[in-house]
Amino acid sequence: MSLNAIKRALWIYHINTGSCNGCDIEILAALTPRYDLERFGMMLVGSPRHADVLLVTGPVARQMAPRLKRVYAQTPDPKVVIVVGSCGLEGGVFYESYNLVGPVDQHIPVDVYVPGCPPRPEAIIEAVAKAWVKLEKAEQQVV
Amino acid sequence: MEIVKVLLKQLFQTPATNKFPTKYAPKSTIQFLDKVKRGELKLTPPIAVPPGFRGKISFNREKCTGCQLCIKVCPTKAIEFIPEEKKVKIFVARCCFCAQCNDICPVDALSMTDEFMLSSYDKYADELVVTK
Repeated sequence: MSLNAIKRALWIYHINTGSCNGCDIEILAALTPRYDLERFGMMLVGSPRHADVLLVTGPVARQMAPRLKRVYAQTPDPKVVIVVGSCGLEGGVFYESYNLVGPVDQHIPVDVYVPGCPPRPEAIIEAVAKAWVKLEKAEQQVV
Repeated sequence: MEIVKVLLKQLFQTPATNKFPTKYAPKSTIQFLDKVKRGELKLTPPIAVPPGFRGKISFNREKCTGCQLCIKVCPTKAIEFIPEEKKVKIFVARCCFCAQCNDICPVDALSMTDEFMLSSYDKYADELVVTK
């Protein structure tokens, strides 16, 4: 199996599962001319059906949990899930909230974690590079 | 005439983009990172952090007295106490980089570094659990 279709230009779908918008702003900053993620062929798309990468921010709010699973199911395989921000990793400052149903990896499988509150755009770019490495290793194993 | 001035000025300006880590995506990321490791290629460094930046926490094990004030003040419960050794353990995955523990520590055992490239495949990886 060749992963050429997804290796070169990763299209990103960003889902906010109850984040404070700090991480969302950093993702946006990574796409601005100062960092310019689009030179790697990455693009934010409006539908998970077009996406290769799911960028999840925020602790999972109770209302968002079934939606998160649905968005994950709608993303075509092979896909990569990157969690951005401390909230998505462990709950962050919202860890004891009654309305949270655990970190992202309790609901969907996660490939790369990016700690930070919020992480700098370079850290997000590094995470994407790590996702690339993971995809290439997966390809080598299959071939 | 004004536009000519602007045009000439912009002609000699460099783009605002910081080409981190490289200009375009390499054909193979694994090979590219190998080359970087061997020193054949150089990465464009990330944009410099501002003074007083709060990055990954660092912990001085010798200085720590085990008073647990940092655990009391931490808003995310990122710090765990090890009773046998009377020291603490910090989970960076949980940390919200507020530096309140740095301020409250009576012996200055905790400090913030400039390190911010923290992404990893495992949120409990060794580099994300600060024990010394």
